[in-house]
Amino acid sequence: MELFLNRVSDGLSNGATYALIAMALVMIFKATTLINFAQGEFAMFGGFIVLVLATERGLPMWVAVVVGMLISAVLAAGIERTLIRPFDPANHLPLVIITLGLFLAINAIAGIVWRFDPRAFPELFPSGNALTYGTATLSWYTVGTLATIAVVSGGLTLLLTKTKVGLAFRAVSSNLESSELVGIKVGPTLQFGWAIAAAVGTLGVCVFVASPFRQLEPQVMVTGLIFAVSAAALGGLDSLGGAIVGGLAIGLVQSIVVPYSPIPNELSLLAAVVVLMLVLLFKPSGLFGTPQVERV
Amino acid sequence: MASTPRFQYTLGTPAYRTYKWLGFGLLALLLIIVAFAYNDTGSIALLDNDYKISVTRVTKAIAFMVAILGLQVVAGFTGQLSLGQGFFFGTGAYISAILIADYNWSWYLTLPVVITVCFLLGLVFGIPALRIKGLYLALVTLGLAAVFPSLIKLDSFAKYTGGAAGKQIDYEFVQPSWVPLDAVADAFHKIPLIGSYFGDGEGLSSKEEHRVWTFIVMTIIALACFKMVSNLVKSRPGRAIRAVRDNETSAAVNGISLSYYKTMSFGVASALGGVGGSIYVAELGIASEGDFTQLLSILFIVGMVVGGVGTLSGAVIGGLVIAFVPDWASSTQSLPGIPERWLQGPTGGLILGILLIVLTFVLPGGIISGVRQIKAKFVRVTPPRPALVAVGSASTSTLSDDSEADSGPSDAESPTIADDS
Repeated sequence: MELFLNRVSDGLSNGATYALIAMALVMIFKATTLINFAQGEFAMFGGFIVLVLATERGLPMWVAVVVGMLISAVLAAGIERTLIRPFDPANHLPLVIITLGLFLAINAIAGIVWRFDPRAFPELFPSGNALTYGTATLSWYTVGTLATIAVVSGGLTLLLTKTKVGLAFRAVSSNLESSELVGIKVGPTLQFGWAIAAAVGTLGVCVFVASPFRQLEPQVMVTGLIFAVSAAALGGLDSLGGAIVGGLAIGLVQSIVVPYSPIPNELSLLAAVVVLMLVLLFKPSGLFGTPQVERV
Repeated sequence: MASTPRFQYTLGTPAYRTYKWLGFGLLALLLIIVAFAYNDTGSIALLDNDYKISVTRVTKAIAFMVAILGLQVVAGFTGQLSLGQGFFFGTGAYISAILIADYNWSWYLTLPVVITVCFLLGLVFGIPALRIKGLYLALVTLGLAAVFPSLIKLDSFAKYTGGAAGKQIDYEFVQPSWVPLDAVADAFHKIPLIGSYFGDGEGLSSKEEHRVWTFIVMTIIALACFKMVSNLVKSRPGRAIRAVRDNETSAAVNGISLSYYKTMSFGVASALGGVGGSIYVAELGIASEGDFTQLLSILFIVGMVVGGVGTLSGAVIGGLVIAFVPDWASSTQSLPGIPERWLQGPTGGLILGILLIVLTFVLPGGIISGVRQIKAKFVRVTPPRPALVAVGSASTSTLSDDSEADSGPSDAESPTIADDS
């Protein structure tokens, strides 16, 4: 029982990270039906910026996180303006190729600048446990990650429903052409989506590597992206709430189902891919997504 | 309209045949030069850097070429964006390695096994592709590629695959006694001026002989693969898969079975991926899981796009690019004006990433489309004019022939797709 509770707590904290990256993917998918294959690398790069700000510039940790999120948002907005906007959003192939190019280039730049040795990341949340029950513990880290998703999803909901740019974003994701006709500037609105996505992703990586058992290195998000993608697909690729549910579910599958099942531990990635494949095969809109209706 | 090209050929004339055979001859000459020059540790020194061009690296490039050729079939011609080619490349490599190391098979005999297994696996993975489309397919196949290394390390497989340590093979390609590699190398060495590039004139050591022979064998296998795909693309199934790529609905309306052609093209692509992996392991002598991550699959996409999507010659260029660029980038240790710090680490990935982005902007058809644009300024191949028919006997078929001849220059593009290897 205690072991089970510990695994639930592990699963929730892993899942929270996947949920954050998945939310970043969803922000971009909602507006453009594009998967940004470089999202994990954007987030990793943002994580390094935060690390540099905190350790070399001596900023307090949370200030560093916020500044790092802002910097990565600006970088992502710049990338959107220069590399993504020139292409027709309806034609996916060149855009996918661009994001794959970004994947390679950003990963390489991080490797060149910061090398491949893993680096310890300062703790974001207090160490120790919030609750103990026998040998089962609920660490402050798990509580912190869950609180982070709550804050981020609350913030995004407010941003999308209560602000003018949020309204424009929702209009663009609902119908790109019509929103252009009513005078919304589509380009800057999508740029806003990219910036928010990069900021959320950066926060996700910071929360991920703030765990005392993990370190930051350029490859940290290479497989993380696969987990996040299946989380996003499970929840429905255009649903922010779905991304949270999907992320937590994938995290729980990884830490509960996989250890109890006969398949060994390394296969949590396979479990995520199988979930992804099953969802896309049988319910491509995911749990909470809008079903795609095609006119034939 | 640009000025008239310097050389004009009509299909089927003796002049055109000469032109074509001249092309084949130059290719063969190039292959022979690559095989015998630099076969040891040849390198070009440029700005204090040492760029190695050994024949083993070209063999590695051939392995990539064959895998990219497979990707061209499924992604370039059938339009199914698969990011999972690395999975089949790895599978082929491991099957060959296990059969050679544990069961003492000859490499040649492993090839049919690799082709069969990868073809069947490809069919199986083609089935989800019937329902999953476009970007979603890219996601699933990327997941597949990402899973491969952990599958290899799985306890129940590790005793066959060697787990994280990799699977080493000890296999040498020995040429039949009637192949006079030594004599050819010496003959090259005797050529004045350039002879010194071809060995030391004392024949080839047995190691060099094996390398050269591996290269020759792999070149022949790769040429066979390219010829087969070129025939496939030009034939009825080839037109069918291109119809599927261009418009699924209209293809289905015209009686093309989408499920048959999609799964088949996945099968063919995977089989080619497996052959590529087999060649890779034959050259490298070891299959290790770290080589077959999803990064490899992304590199194949890079190769396909940089070379030119939907072209066969694009696969050749793509294979060379992804084999040589990372190597040369890491051997670039000093460049004037750039701090040394920026030349260490994964510069190859940076260059490939930037190359991919830049080409998508300036040359979406890949390097090969640039080459073709330049070539079109010098050479034009036109289909033969149909013979004039007597009035009254004009049938519908001659009418359609006529209209083809009119669209000469644009039509001349399509034969060149299959022309060059």
